[in-house]
Amino acid sequence: MNETVIRLKLSFFLGLRSLRRGSIGSLVMTVVIIGMVFTNMIFLPSVITGAINLFVEQTIEYQSGDVLIQPKEDVEVISDLEDLLARVNRAPGVLRAAPHNNIGGVMKFKGSRLAGSVIAIRPRDEVLVTGVSGKIRDGEYLGEGDTGVIIIGNYVAGHKDKSEDLMPSLGGVRAGDSIDVEFTNGVVRTYRVKGVFETKSYMADQSVFITWEELESIRGQKVDEATEVLVRTVPGEDAEEVKLSLTGMGIQEQIKTWHDLLGKAFAQVVQSYGVINSISTIVSIVIAIVVIFIVIMIKTLNNRRQIGILKAIGIHRTTITYSYVFQVILLAIMGIFFGMLILFAMDRYFAVYPIRFPDGDIRPAFTLADIVTNAILLFVSSAIAGFIPAWLIAREEILTAMRG
Amino acid sequence: MIRTTNLTKTYYPGVVEVPALRGISFEVRRGDFLGLMGPSGSGKSTLLHLLGLLDFPTSGTIEINSHDVADMDDDERTDYRLRKMGYIFQDYALVAELTVLENVMLTVMAQGKTEDECREASREVLSTVGLSHRLGHLPRELSGGEQQRVAIARSMVNRPIILFADEPCANLDTVNSKAVLDQFHTLNEEFGQTIVMVSHEEWHKDYFHRIVYLKDGQIDRDEDRRGH
Repeated sequence: MNETVIRLKLSFFLGLRSLRRGSIGSLVMTVVIIGMVFTNMIFLPSVITGAINLFVEQTIEYQSGDVLIQPKEDVEVISDLEDLLARVNRAPGVLRAAPHNNIGGVMKFKGSRLAGSVIAIRPRDEVLVTGVSGKIRDGEYLGEGDTGVIIIGNYVAGHKDKSEDLMPSLGGVRAGDSIDVEFTNGVVRTYRVKGVFETKSYMADQSVFITWEELESIRGQKVDEATEVLVRTVPGEDAEEVKLSLTGMGIQEQIKTWHDLLGKAFAQVVQSYGVINSISTIVSIVIAIVVIFIVIMIKTLNNRRQIGILKAIGIHRTTITYSYVFQVILLAIMGIFFGMLILFAMDRYFAVYPIRFPDGDIRPAFTLADIVTNAILLFVSSAIAGFIPAWLIAREEILTAMRG
Repeated sequence: MIRTTNLTKTYYPGVVEVPALRGISFEVRRGDFLGLMGPSGSGKSTLLHLLGLLDFPTSGTIEINSHDVADMDDDERTDYRLRKMGYIFQDYALVAELTVLENVMLTVMAQGKTEDECREASREVLSTVGLSHRLGHLPRELSGGEQQRVAIARSMVNRPIILFADEPCANLDTVNSKAVLDQFHTLNEEFGQTIVMVSHEEWHKDYFHRIVYLKDGQIDRDEDRRGH
C-alpha cells in the first residue's frame, strides 16, 4: 500500500478515536462555534441580498415594470402614444403596456402643502402592469374613467402627528378626505381621496395617481402623449428579449429593461454591499480560524506527551499532524451541518416573520451556491487552522515532547 | 548488532554544560538480555534513548548491523523505530484514547497491513501476555501491571530486532514487576529476543545475561552473567 495512503488511513483512525473518546464538552462547544460562525457568514449577506432583492422587486413592481419606454433623447414626452401602445401590446412576450403621464402640482390639505408630481394612469392597464392596486390600505383603487378622485401614497398621506412621518406629508389624509391640487398649468382642482396605498416602496409611496380622463379634463384636450410607458412581460419571458423585439419593431423611443434602468448606480450599490459582505465573511473566518487554532493548540499541548510517544514508537509526524487535521475536518463538517440547520430554521422563521424595514419586509435570501462557497471557505480555513498547531507540536523532538 | 564508539552526550540546560555520557564504547549482541544499571544520573536512560534512536549523540557513532545511524534522515529513523525496535517506558506510554487492541494494532497499521491482519496479529500477541479478555478496554480501565503488559504486547507485535525497556517496573509492585520480567525472560529465552533494559533494582540482576554498569556517564564495568 502506498505510504501516503497508509498514513492517511492511520491519521483517520487516530483522529476519529480522539474525537469519539475525547472531551464531549469541547467537541460540542467547537461544533457550536463553527456552526455559529457559518451562520454568521451566510446570515448578514443574506439580509443584504434580501434587501437588494426587495429593492429590485419594488422597482419592477411599482416603478419600471419589466421594460420601461422613455422619450427619445432631448424630447420630454412620448408622442403618438396610441400607436405606440398598439404596437407594444402586439409585441411577443408583452403582457401589457401602461402609460404614465407626470404633471407637476402642489397638493394642499388643512394648511399642509406638498409639491410633487401627479401621475395620470389608465387603471385597466395599470392593474396588469404594476402592483399598486393590490396595496390599497384605506379606500379603493381608481376605476377606469374616474374623475374628481385621486389616490395617494402612504408617505404623501402622512400622519396627523408629523413627527411620525419620515418625510414631508399632507398631515394625515384618509380616504374620503378632500385635497386641493394646483397644477403647473394653473388649473386648481379639489379631489376626493378615493384610496391611500402603502407599497412599502420608498419611491412608490410618494406617488399620487389620477386617471387619464382626469388629465384630459385638466388639459382640456385629448392627451396622446406620455412621459413613460411601463411594460409587463409575460411571466417567464426575458426582459432583454422583449426589449430586442420592441427595438426590432422600429420603436424609436428609449427602451430600457429594469436592469438597464438600475444601471451603474445599482451596480455600485451591489458592489458596496459586496464589500460589506466580504468584510463580514473575513471577520467570520478569522474568528473561526482563531477558535479552531486555540482549540487544536490546547488539544495538541495537552497531548504533547502522547505525540512524543507516537513518534517514539515509529508513527510518522505527518500521520500525527494529519490526525489533528482530520479531527478539524470532522468538526468543521459537523459545525457546517449544524450551521445549515440553524440557517434553514431561520429561513423558515423569516418566511413567516420577515424583518421589517421602512422600505419593506426583507426575507434573508441565500442560495445553494452561497452555502457551498462559504462551506468550502470555512472548511479550508479550519483545516489550515488545525494544521498549524499540530504541525508545530509534531515537529518537536521526541524526548522534549515526551517530557510534556 | 549495535555498536557504539566513543559516544558522548552533553546537555545544555542553561549556561552550564551537563555531560551525560562521556565516551561510551560497547556492543549489544544479538540475543542479549542486557541490563543497564547504575546510580541515578549515571546516564542509563540517556544511553538507552541514543541506542533507541530517540535522541542524537553529541559525538561518537552508533552502528546498527554495521550501518551508521548518523546517515539516516528523520524519516528513516522513524521507519527504523517502527519496524525494527520496540519500546517499553516506565509509565507505560499508551495512547489514552485507544483501546488495548487498538494500542497494539497501531504500529501494525502503520506498516500498511490490512485491518484483519492487524487485529489477528494484535490479538495473538495480547493473548501471549494474558490480556485476551481486556481487548476493548481503555488504558485507564486497567491496572498498572496490565498496562505494562499492553505496552509489552505493543512493542512485540512488529517482531522487533531489539526491545528497549526504560525502567519498565518502576511503577509496578513486586508481583507485577516479576510478571513483566518473567515475560521478558520468556521472550529472550524462547524467541531469542534481544532486550536492553534500564533498571536500578538490585533484584533485577538475576534476569540479565549481561549488565553494563554506568557511573558518571562512563562504563564502570561490563559484567557477563551467563555463568550465574
